[in-house]
Amino acid sequence: MLTIALPTGRVLTEALDLLSKLDLPVTLLKSRGRELVIEDGTYRYILAKPMDVPLHVTYGAADLALVGSDVMWEISAPLIELADTGRGRCRIVIAGPERIAKRFLGHESELMWLRIATKYPNIADRYFSSRGVQVEIIHMHGSIELAPMLGLSDCILDIVQTGITLKANNLKIFENVTPVSLRLTGSVKSVQTKWEEISLILNKMKSLRA
Amino acid sequence: MSRLPKGCTNVGGSLASAMQKCRTDMISKMHSYGYQTFWPSALQLFESAWEHLPFSLRKRLITLNTPFGEPCCLRADITLAAVSFLASHFSPEERPLRLCYADRIYKTPVRPDIYLEGFQIGAELLGWEGEGADVELIFLLLQSMDMLGLEDSFLVLGDMTFIQQLLSEIDRRTGQSLLTALEKGSYAEYDSMLKSGRVDTYHAQRLSEIPSLKGDLTILKEAERLLPENKSLASLKKILSSLEDLGYANRLKVDLSLIRELNYYSGPIFDVYISRHGRSLGGGGRYDGLLSSYGILGQATGFALDLELIASFSKYTLTVPSIMVWSGGLSPSKVFSMTEMIRQKGTPLEISWNPNRDDSIHLARMRNLKWWVDLSESAVMELGSGEMTILGEWIGGI
Repeated sequence: MLTIALPTGRVLTEALDLLSKLDLPVTLLKSRGRELVIEDGTYRYILAKPMDVPLHVTYGAADLALVGSDVMWEISAPLIELADTGRGRCRIVIAGPERIAKRFLGHESELMWLRIATKYPNIADRYFSSRGVQVEIIHMHGSIELAPMLGLSDCILDIVQTGITLKANNLKIFENVTPVSLRLTGSVKSVQTKWEEISLILNKMKSLRA
Repeated sequence: MSRLPKGCTNVGGSLASAMQKCRTDMISKMHSYGYQTFWPSALQLFESAWEHLPFSLRKRLITLNTPFGEPCCLRADITLAAVSFLASHFSPEERPLRLCYADRIYKTPVRPDIYLEGFQIGAELLGWEGEGADVELIFLLLQSMDMLGLEDSFLVLGDMTFIQQLLSEIDRRTGQSLLTALEKGSYAEYDSMLKSGRVDTYHAQRLSEIPSLKGDLTILKEAERLLPENKSLASLKKILSSLEDLGYANRLKVDLSLIRELNYYSGPIFDVYISRHGRSLGGGGRYDGLLSSYGILGQATGFALDLELIASFSKYTLTVPSIMVWSGGLSPSKVFSMTEMIRQKGTPLEISWNPNRDDSIHLARMRNLKWWVDLSESAVMELGSGEMTILGEWIGGI
């Protein structure tokens, strides 16, 4: 039996669609109530908060998982990134009010001690550290777009799909940090020991993308 | 209340006992094959450690200054200390050198881990050529696992030489990037690099097969198809064949994309697992490259495992019935001579010198012990039911 961890929330719809295209059983998953573990045929699904999904895989509670690359990079847990599903495409950006824009156009030193609100403190730290820039990171859990408006931060590092929310809050994109998509990941142990089953799913996914 | 620094831990109770028992069993096993115990210094000179450590471990070193003003780091890996010991204490004629150890290591944790300290148990065979050395180490490792009740343990083996040979066919920079992608565990990145046009179609096709070369021992035949005339899998084949002959075929798996975290490994390598746990218990392999960085030519092989993890799954974590022996006012010499009869049965016991009978029974119950022995009355109480038995009869029964 293969155990697959899936993220709850917005990404789940995309994940379910992908699973059904891969011919994996999803009937019970679609008609679930409040259960968080669902067994269907030879598959067991675990539903977890997106940020917790990589941990299920790392500790071996799940063999496979569908997880956003933003979450993978933020958590940085040791796991195998098997494939980019090409789904759930969006990007992580730095955005802020117009008055900050010129700091991003000049020398890197202009960015020193910028206050960045984000739900991705590790990505933000790595991104600015790699440029030798020291910033103040304000870790928030939601409504990040409000932070510059309320004076909590100078700008934000956040995930963006259409950019409508940013516009609605008078925020402008200054830099693209990285593209984001839904990835198929596996635990190191499962990839080494259940490769025959895992490679069937992986090959199907590759043929879907081709 | 006092607390420890963040990331540190005291280990006590049944886990500590299990760790001590596992340590004793494994080290004794190693001793019986001529391995000598090695107690490395907790501090290593920063300048000596730095150049021999892979980048991934350098970033995790915990540094400090000694009172003599020498910049140091806490040892992050015992293998390094063992090789340094070989280089500075033994002449080439004295090799091979067999070392075993069990001690703490210290490094900054990588998420999701949180502890700075770990317990490493392992063995190293330094300065002997040929697959015999690899087989010896793996054989002792598997025997030790069985001895500790970890019969469900198994090894996943790979070979760095195979990957390096295939990557040597393309330009060095791209080869290094592909190796890094495999080391990070990003097959997606590895695939995308191969499709980016940086590698010609022929080599891209060959290299794309590496991540799929996993499975039972028959996978080696598929791998040989990629490098038909090449000897890069010869060592791994001999090792696997010897281990099969020793009866371990069903505990071996092959993953030819395996790259261990410490990039000083240079030949056959392995990860150790048990079926009951989702993460590796440790691993090992050949690290001739590390040896040569000390100016020593030849082969070295070893393994290191997480002692705490091993102990927590070992047979020693099973609850054993324990006994409290109440002195009942008898003289210490009398108590010890009577206790000896019980102790020789092999069941752990604790002597209670408390003059009050009820307090002694109360304490035994608090400790979840199974029996309470009254030496003065030569009687035994089964603490769950309160039922009394005559001591002589009871000893005969345990």
